[in-house]
Amino acid sequence: MTKTYDLAIVGGGIMGCSTALRLAEDGMKTIVLDQGDLGQGASGVNAGTLSLQIKRVKLMPYALKGHSEWEAMGEAVGFKKTGGFTLAFTEHEAELLYERQALKADAGAPITFVSNNALRAAEQNLSHKVLAASYCPEDGYANSSLTGQYYRIRLKENEVQFREKCNVKLITRNSSGFNLTTSCGTVHATRLLLAAGAWLKPIAADLGVDLPVRARVNTVSVTERMPPLISSIVGHATGLLTMKQKSNGAILIGGGWQGQGVPQDGRGNVTAKTLIPNLSLAQHVLPELSNARVTRSWVGFEANVPDFYPLAGALPGIENAFVLGCVRGGYTIGPYMGRLMGDYILGQEPELPLFDPGREFSEV
Amino acid sequence: MIKTCDVAIIGAGPAGANAGIMAASQGCHTIIIDEQAMPGGQIWRAKSEAIKSAPMTPEIIDGDKLRVSIAESNLTHIANAKVWQIERELDEWVLHFIINGRSEKIGAKVLILATGAREYVQPTPGWTLPGVIGLAGATALMKRDLLTPGKRTVVSGTGPLVFFVASEIRRLGGEVAAIVTPNSRADWLRALPSMSYRTDLLRRGFVWVADLLLAGIPIFWRHAIKQIDGETKVHSVKVSKVSSDWSPKGPARLIEADSVCTGHGLQAASDASQLLGIDVKYQLELGGWVPEVEEDGITKINGLFICGDGAGIRGAAAAEIQGKLAGLSAAKSIRPEVNSSNSTLLNSYRRASRFGMAMTRLSIPRKGFQKLITQETIVCRCESLRRCDIENEIETGAATTNAVKSGSRAGMGPCGGKYCQSTIAKIIADRENQSEEKIAPPTPRPPLRPVSASALSGEFEYTDLQIPKPAPL
Amino acid sequence: MIRLIPNSANQIKRAEEICFKFDDQLIKAHKGETILVALMKNGIHHLRDAPTDGKPRGAFCCMGLCQECVVAVGGKLVESCETIATDGLIVQSLRH
Repeated sequence: MTKTYDLAIVGGGIMGCSTALRLAEDGMKTIVLDQGDLGQGASGVNAGTLSLQIKRVKLMPYALKGHSEWEAMGEAVGFKKTGGFTLAFTEHEAELLYERQALKADAGAPITFVSNNALRAAEQNLSHKVLAASYCPEDGYANSSLTGQYYRIRLKENEVQFREKCNVKLITRNSSGFNLTTSCGTVHATRLLLAAGAWLKPIAADLGVDLPVRARVNTVSVTERMPPLISSIVGHATGLLTMKQKSNGAILIGGGWQGQGVPQDGRGNVTAKTLIPNLSLAQHVLPELSNARVTRSWVGFEANVPDFYPLAGALPGIENAFVLGCVRGGYTIGPYMGRLMGDYILGQEPELPLFDPGREFSEV
Repeated sequence: MIKTCDVAIIGAGPAGANAGIMAASQGCHTIIIDEQAMPGGQIWRAKSEAIKSAPMTPEIIDGDKLRVSIAESNLTHIANAKVWQIERELDEWVLHFIINGRSEKIGAKVLILATGAREYVQPTPGWTLPGVIGLAGATALMKRDLLTPGKRTVVSGTGPLVFFVASEIRRLGGEVAAIVTPNSRADWLRALPSMSYRTDLLRRGFVWVADLLLAGIPIFWRHAIKQIDGETKVHSVKVSKVSSDWSPKGPARLIEADSVCTGHGLQAASDASQLLGIDVKYQLELGGWVPEVEEDGITKINGLFICGDGAGIRGAAAAEIQGKLAGLSAAKSIRPEVNSSNSTLLNSYRRASRFGMAMTRLSIPRKGFQKLITQETIVCRCESLRRCDIENEIETGAATTNAVKSGSRAGMGPCGGKYCQSTIAKIIADRENQSEEKIAPPTPRPPLRPVSASALSGEFEYTDLQIPKPAPL
Repeated sequence: MIRLIPNSANQIKRAEEICFKFDDQLIKAHKGETILVALMKNGIHHLRDAPTDGKPRGAFCCMGLCQECVVAVGGKLVESCETIATDGLIVQSLRH
């Protein structure tokens, strides 16, 4: 007799694993299935930036909660609260900065505008061409490479089953729930959570549900070790740069410049056309970076839907099936979204509202 | 304006150079890009400009022949260029490379990868000490700069390279303290029949060994280095016997030396192939993970060809011939009138491969060899991670090379995992009780070589940066 | 003693000498040589200290792959095995 799980989670990233951990608190028997290794998708290859300054206004309450989650995970995920600066170099960027950061501050993020002198006192190696800057003391980063290791350990501690290199090939429904045909055998579960990030669309399609999921192909690069240059995380008014110097001296550069490829092909590609301006912008912000060598660049698939708000709730039309993904700022917010999702699956009222996957999506 | 050619080739060793000469001879506009100042690859590496004159060697003679052929062909040779990224744009390959401190690019209808081999060096306690270099590294120093690795050198490792390195050290006036090889004389006897293909090399090999014996230099067959000692430089080496599966056994013997050359066979340098989406498969007799490629260099990707040691370690002779075959295949893909079927070439390629593969077989470490990697031995040199650090990571549940890399940083340093990924795969295989062919190599990442940020960006004006529109508020 | 492989070291003619600085030391090199080769000829093998355990390191692959031999030239890290030493060059080790 094959074991029946209370819940099967497809996708072992932050969303899936954190939901599993919440459910384990209430004794639900859960299994997490991942086509690769845990936390090796967007959860493990993003730049690790934890910045309220780049979060969407409407998601700010979730982002604030997310920050506390990361702080609690602490050293195990390489959490560092460094404070963060966002810089503007032109009038237009300064306008954008003032407008956006003011709204984010209203939404609860402790963001302030800082003078050039204050900026220079804090970060002497940044460009002197800065026109305007904002600061948030809550900002920092964690080491996304540790996502897989962290959740592997946590799932084991909480006796949550997980299977890696386990590709879900087919999901069918029966009277008692769901049958998942996978590369490592059949899994039965009464409930199903799809948390497969950029791979959500084909999996939901298996169940006849069309989720308008698309993927951005975000580029991240890292340099070799450098002498200490910056101590805070640094961003750009447009949001198209994130930069931090890790404790080993390596400088991590992101910002969502688009590479090429689609999730279905399994991998994306870095492209010089966007990598070069990404690195040029980084050098403009931190001139000393011109002495650094880039040792590695990669892309990760970040899922989204047309309105760029999360999918978090019941899978439309399928009883006992749920979906969680497409959370913009998902690395920051993910652990908290998992907690909310867990509450919802357990039939409890989530602390903050979820985002109905059955809503009408309007393009932004 | 981007330069475009018919055929671009990465690597000007025996495979790449011959592929280029062949493609050019078939009327294709062909460009060959190479890291070195002169064509020749590792095997026929040219002397540096600092050498005004020196006695001829067979490698220089063969290399000069190749260099003359290239000079006489219509081939364009771009030297001192490091390809850092390869992209596909519509129907064209675009190669990005660093030359003279700037990033340049060329376009090509067809791409041939002839990226050659890199050396596998099994970690040994003390192998990170200054004065310890790879066997392949030693050949580079001796061919290009006519420089010995030290004054008194222990030459250690598998396959034929130990004897070549030792004889070169002697030719250049250095002292060989000892040769330490886990191969036995019987291993070599068994390989002899396959070596009849290259009587020239066989004869040279006999001279190398006879010279060592006449000079009274100890050859420790079925031995391996157990430990290398020194403060800031090698001062001595401990060697011990190994059993038939190359597990260390018995007491160690001390040899004084100021330098060590060590290496354990070659592996296909397949990063570029993998980056372009070519699958790799495990073929022990070809040095481990090799890209999926036909004998004539054809791959599953239209317009992409792979040849030489980068397609699996078959040695220089086979690489030359496969280069010609791949050059023909590439030419045919551009000019359909080219006759690319050449059974004479194909047959000689197969004969040459048998020789190369016999040498590879001698070089491949056996099962017990990794017992020499103690818990405290550095495995990932860039990040100073020891075997125990890797094993601790596996203990947390990381069962793939990618997972171990993420969790431990092994392979995230500047070398990009080139010198640790195979060892880590072996350690995972050992711990998980799996065969090595089940443990795939980690996902390679660009750039193919570290590149300076300023070389990539060049001079730029901030206002010229095409910054995309901000994300929704 | 019979040598089948004669010592041919004295038949090698090298280019004219130049001079560069490695930390505080003046190093003689032959024009066209790499920084690494010149240093090794001068008995210098210890080029940097490993970032995490602080242990001494020197050249290893000698062909631009392993990054063990990097030194600083004009504030930038370069592979000493691939960078030609020029007259008056200032090279800094990554030794602590």
